[in-house]
Amino acid sequence: MSVINFIIENILTQASVTIALIAMLGLILQKKSAGQVISGSLKTMLGFMVLVAGSSIIVGSLTYFGKIFAEGFHMQGIVPSIEAINGQAMNELGLGRDIALTFLAIFVFNIIIARFTKWKYIFLTGQAILWMATMTTVFGYFAGLRGITLILVGGFIGAVFAVAMPAIAQPFVRKITGSDDIALGHFCTVGYVFEAGVAKVFGEKGDKKKSVEDLKLPAQLEFLQDTYLSVMVIMVPLYIITAAFAGAEFASTLSGDTHYLMFAFLQAIQFVVGVYVLLSGVRLLLGEIVPAFRGIAMRLVPNAKPALDCPVLFPFSPNAVIVGFITTTIGCVIAMFVLPVFGLAMILPGMLTAFFAGGTAGIFGNLVGGRRGAVIGGIAHGFFITLLPALLVTTFNSMGFVNTTATDVDTVTAALLYAWLIGPLLKAF
Amino acid sequence: MFGFGKKKTKKPKQESIEPETAIITEEDKEEMLRTISMREQELIQADEEEKAKIYEVIGMTYLKIGEDDQAIDALEKSIQHKKTLGDGYKSLLSLYNKKRAEAARMNDDKSLQVYLEKMDQMMQVSKDVTRGVR
Repeated sequence: MSVINFIIENILTQASVTIALIAMLGLILQKKSAGQVISGSLKTMLGFMVLVAGSSIIVGSLTYFGKIFAEGFHMQGIVPSIEAINGQAMNELGLGRDIALTFLAIFVFNIIIARFTKWKYIFLTGQAILWMATMTTVFGYFAGLRGITLILVGGFIGAVFAVAMPAIAQPFVRKITGSDDIALGHFCTVGYVFEAGVAKVFGEKGDKKKSVEDLKLPAQLEFLQDTYLSVMVIMVPLYIITAAFAGAEFASTLSGDTHYLMFAFLQAIQFVVGVYVLLSGVRLLLGEIVPAFRGIAMRLVPNAKPALDCPVLFPFSPNAVIVGFITTTIGCVIAMFVLPVFGLAMILPGMLTAFFAGGTAGIFGNLVGGRRGAVIGGIAHGFFITLLPALLVTTFNSMGFVNTTATDVDTVTAALLYAWLIGPLLKAF
Repeated sequence: MFGFGKKKTKKPKQESIEPETAIITEEDKEEMLRTISMREQELIQADEEEKAKIYEVIGMTYLKIGEDDQAIDALEKSIQHKKTLGDGYKSLLSLYNKKRAEAARMNDDKSLQVYLEKMDQMMQVSKDVTRGVR
């Protein structure tokens, strides 16, 4: 008995072990050899540990940034990063095990919904499911849910989003791709539909509708070639300017013997290093789990519509991607300055979200409202995807998250569902 | 807003990768195969970009005559020579999805994983081309 207690209390409570066991289950269900099961499980565990290490690096850098920003601008400056939220929830908040089990539960509920309802969408973007699991777990925990209830509620809500979001996007996707056999699986869909709505109201209509695809635009966004370089391009000036505003006297108290601006530069690089390490961990972590479970899902729902990551739409409307990226960035920058006027935190723009979410939203805006729809809708989209995460900042702060908020708006919507509906209901009863 | 609750008359589903011309006669097929072999001759002297274009044309022609495996082979070669997001890309993704669905129906996990992975790679190609990665 004491041995079993020891296993339950000391081994199974470890998030890395739980995650490795989930991978093991997937590999066994796929009838892999013993060697593959062991190596796959160990790699998954390694992935979790790498993710945790990345998170620690990010937290170190964001803690410094929070201090200089508060000193320099007398307000809170928030870096939007779903990766940082995931890392801190997994590591610093100790929710790794619950997030991993919720991740598994989302897969299972997704299969059940797709198998037994007419919505045959199987969400294939593993990383996005991890972000959704993170947000439902964090906000479920904050609402007072614990243990199996936390996991099942989070799994169910996450799975409803995993089916509903592709379903909501599908009428647009059908028009964009001219086919009904592939769906969009990206948790920024609320933003896409928002942009489409704005484009419908303010965009061109009928015969006057002109597509951005008829314009001649530079074909590629070469400055975004490398994910980490594009993060660095934003973070380095941001840190250095903030340190300059904080002043040599204050910033030098944090930088030791290093010059305070050089220290700010190095801390910006540290942030990028943290994201690099964390995402390497995520890739290792999901490398074994995702193929196993999506293989199972596809076989259990043979007539499934695969919901793929947002680049699935890029080839159908490449100009709209560029217009969407630029206009969303403009909208994010406007929101950055406007939101603090209304007492919300300053949300700094995130290049990668503006590219992937903005680019895809641009396709929706162009489809519905032509050139004008894409431009006005894109700016509104940028504002919208900055506003929603800003609403979560107070909650994140009270939970101990360091200077960061979530990005993908569907995960933010799920979080707001907990904060505004499920939490108050639980407290009322 | 999205037509929820409305009664819908069922429309036949569009099949994006079905040949545009519904009926292809034996003569048409022979003609297309001749075109393919002529195109293959052009490959010898072509540079990388031209090879990508020629393979794309060959792949699209195979697709028209319903030779999916050969279409996949040619379209993959096209993308190996130069990543583009034209008709070849779209057709290849659609073909992978078709193969994925067949593998799921046959309960063939090995093929299923192969095509799911190929679809992942296509997402990467789309990202790379849009961001200008060579």
